[in-house]
Amino acid sequence: MASPQPLKNFRILDLSRIWAGPYCTKLMADMGAEIIKMESLRVYDSHRGPVSPARGVVAYPDAEPGDEPWNRNGWFNCLHLSKYGITLELTEESGRRVFERLVSISDAVIENFRQGSLERLGYTYETLRQFRPDLIYVSMPAFGNSGPWQQYVAYGIGQEQLSGMAHMTGYADDGPMKSGINHGDPITGSHAAGVLLAALRYRRRTGRGMFIDVSQQESAVSLIGAETLAYQMTGQEPERRGNRSPHHAPHNSYPCAGEDRWVTIAVTTDEQWQHLAGIIGGDALAQDARFSTSDGRLQHQDVLDELVRQWTASREAYAISHQLQQMGIPASPVLRGPDLLEDPHYRERGTFVEVTHPQVGPRWYPGVPWKMSVTPGQVHWAAPTLGQHNYQIYHELLGMPGEEIARLEETGVIGTKPTGSRII
Amino acid sequence: MTFSPVDNPALSGLLAGVKVVDLTHYISGPYCTKLLATLGAEVVKIERPGPGDPMRQVGPFAEPSKTPPKASPAAQQPGDEAAIRGETGAWFLYLNTSKKSLALDLKCQQGREILLQLVKTADILVENFAPGVMDRLGLGYTQLQAVNPALVMASISNYGQTGPYRDWKATELNLYAAGGLMNITGEPEREPLKEGAPLAQLGAGQNAFVAAMCALLYAEDSGQGQHIDISIAEYATNILENALMQYSYSGVEYSRVGNRGYGRAAWGIYPCQDGYVGIIAGPDQRWPQVAGIMEREELADPRFASRQGRLIHADEVDALMLPWLLEHDKVDIFKAGQEDGLGFAYVATMQDILEMEQLQERDYFVPLDHPVAGRFKYPGPPISPHLFEDSLGKSGGGPGGGLNSAWVYRRAPLLGEHNGEVLGELGYTRSEIDQMKAGWVL
Repeated sequence: MASPQPLKNFRILDLSRIWAGPYCTKLMADMGAEIIKMESLRVYDSHRGPVSPARGVVAYPDAEPGDEPWNRNGWFNCLHLSKYGITLELTEESGRRVFERLVSISDAVIENFRQGSLERLGYTYETLRQFRPDLIYVSMPAFGNSGPWQQYVAYGIGQEQLSGMAHMTGYADDGPMKSGINHGDPITGSHAAGVLLAALRYRRRTGRGMFIDVSQQESAVSLIGAETLAYQMTGQEPERRGNRSPHHAPHNSYPCAGEDRWVTIAVTTDEQWQHLAGIIGGDALAQDARFSTSDGRLQHQDVLDELVRQWTASREAYAISHQLQQMGIPASPVLRGPDLLEDPHYRERGTFVEVTHPQVGPRWYPGVPWKMSVTPGQVHWAAPTLGQHNYQIYHELLGMPGEEIARLEETGVIGTKPTGSRII
Repeated sequence: MTFSPVDNPALSGLLAGVKVVDLTHYISGPYCTKLLATLGAEVVKIERPGPGDPMRQVGPFAEPSKTPPKASPAAQQPGDEAAIRGETGAWFLYLNTSKKSLALDLKCQQGREILLQLVKTADILVENFAPGVMDRLGLGYTQLQAVNPALVMASISNYGQTGPYRDWKATELNLYAAGGLMNITGEPEREPLKEGAPLAQLGAGQNAFVAAMCALLYAEDSGQGQHIDISIAEYATNILENALMQYSYSGVEYSRVGNRGYGRAAWGIYPCQDGYVGIIAGPDQRWPQVAGIMEREELADPRFASRQGRLIHADEVDALMLPWLLEHDKVDIFKAGQEDGLGFAYVATMQDILEMEQLQERDYFVPLDHPVAGRFKYPGPPISPHLFEDSLGKSGGGPGGGLNSAWVYRRAPLLGEHNGEVLGELGYTRSEIDQMKAGWVL
């Protein structure tokens, strides 16, 4: 028997795009919420990629975009697992009527358009409440729904900078460094999911909906909030110190045997240092008074990093990690894409899941980011192709007759093929 | 639209009435319970008598008040510098807003009994001990469930409660590496980098909050609680996005690209006259405007029009942009891009953030007084739920359905500040509480 789904009674009309909003609804989709991802055929979610991409772009299966590249893009497909996909044009009168019916049967609407975009189409929280009085409306523009920057746009990469994250990241002798991803997006998505669930619970108890104003920037600043307090206390800006710690040493990534292979080692106690020193330098190093306290190790960390590097350089990253962990020393290999998918720990925990997409075939995706003992949730199905669930949602859910659906198709209000090349 | 923070225990919040037993320390767990507390849940943070949460001893620290109040350890233990310092650490103060503190020794029988009494009426328990510690204390999920079958227990740990790395020791550095994020951060020819901020731990705390809310909704539907297992390393693997998908789809590994997002120009960090800016050529169709902003016609060259083109000719594009960037200030560059609809950014310092006009206009920072640490501006809630009056269109944070504000924000508690209040609610008398204090249960 399938396990129970904790969110099975909730339906979310999802107009969000790219990453922050889709990560929010992805977390909920795997827990059984009915997520209806709505896109425009003229301006579909830009994570689907261009209508006519160049060949050789690695986001596509075997770097081959194929006939319908918008359905074959890995960036999009990893964020929309377990969701329903529909298309609808809000600029057409007939499309607007359908949208309003969808709102009337949805618990929440979520969007991350540029601030005011929906309002220009005549839809605000107040007008949407006419169709669903207890609606929860989650609006997540880059800088929130008020203030002088409300019309500005930003991507996750920009939020890393405007929140201060980039300022404190980088090599010690160099400028700020971006992360390999765009942290601002999942941070906002996860915050939004938690608050939306709290709002759904509140509504269940009171019958009252609400407007949830999400500033992606505030959401990102909240994560590094302690540093803004620290600055007020000391007047000192956070330092860029590479992988080093202000409290512990050695604390870094070290080269290992093989091409671009690295291990991380973090010594946090004197005891751990004694063990590490014994392994890499024998008694002489373990007894070296310069390194016996953390203050001493911090003072001599250039020397220490070099000693550790000399020891790691000819050894294998996994082997080092296992050896040091046996002595209780924090260490881990720097894992790359293929390592992650093959790692025995992640394999055993089912961290990544293989899902078959009709136009892509079987591929590995990140799974549910937690384990729950009674309602584990699961990746239910592959990301929808453009407009894949139009019939299911419009006919089976809304009860629209076949002729009406056909008319919408003929007039380009719904469909499964993009009608424009403009991607935002 | 205005947002009204509330620093008044009489007002409630979106999760008013939800009771949380908080056995967390350091970063990941406290961020999870901070989010719950901010939305109005009653969070009782259990701390070890004496030192409390070890995060209390992590600096930097505020200059302590010269005249601390009676209730503070500074007044109770004159001369105990660690106790005074423990009330002034930036990280502790930030991560523990809106919570209550109960100093309770879980290693003694009476301490465990008190904990079980709290669990009996709690909705959620959050802990981030190493896997197995709760079991060894006799407080594993099985024991807790026996007391309260509807309890949601969320356990956050480095690698999770199962699997070969379950007992591996780790800091943020190790988790960022094992989660796959480190390999893709930094310059291709240099060592891989972690973030400056502990984003894996904080992110896992966020996801624990989401998972706990899912389980709470289910427990209220079914009467059945459950155990949630959140791994910090797995949080990292969950947000790899294209870095993983590129390999999964095409077999081509994604690696470090320095400050050039996805290897292309105009999607990353650049130096400017007074710091660093984010030149981000999105939305795509607005790229030609960059040439106008930077007064360089060459940038409008059709070779650079597509993302792919800016990847192939990245060096050339960068060289064309740099002279203009070095002659302009970060905020001016940011606004020049934004006024043309481009998602430019700038690398904000802490001072920049505290002075940012947008955050000021939205009253994002909340001033809070602390009897030992003093008064500081705290970042407010990450998200503003906003209640509306029944009449359409009338908005405000004012009274509505007994709820006066969707969120609450109070200063972090002093160590053991709520011993009397929490134990009093459980029915203990003043003299019993004093006895426990003398016996180091509290």
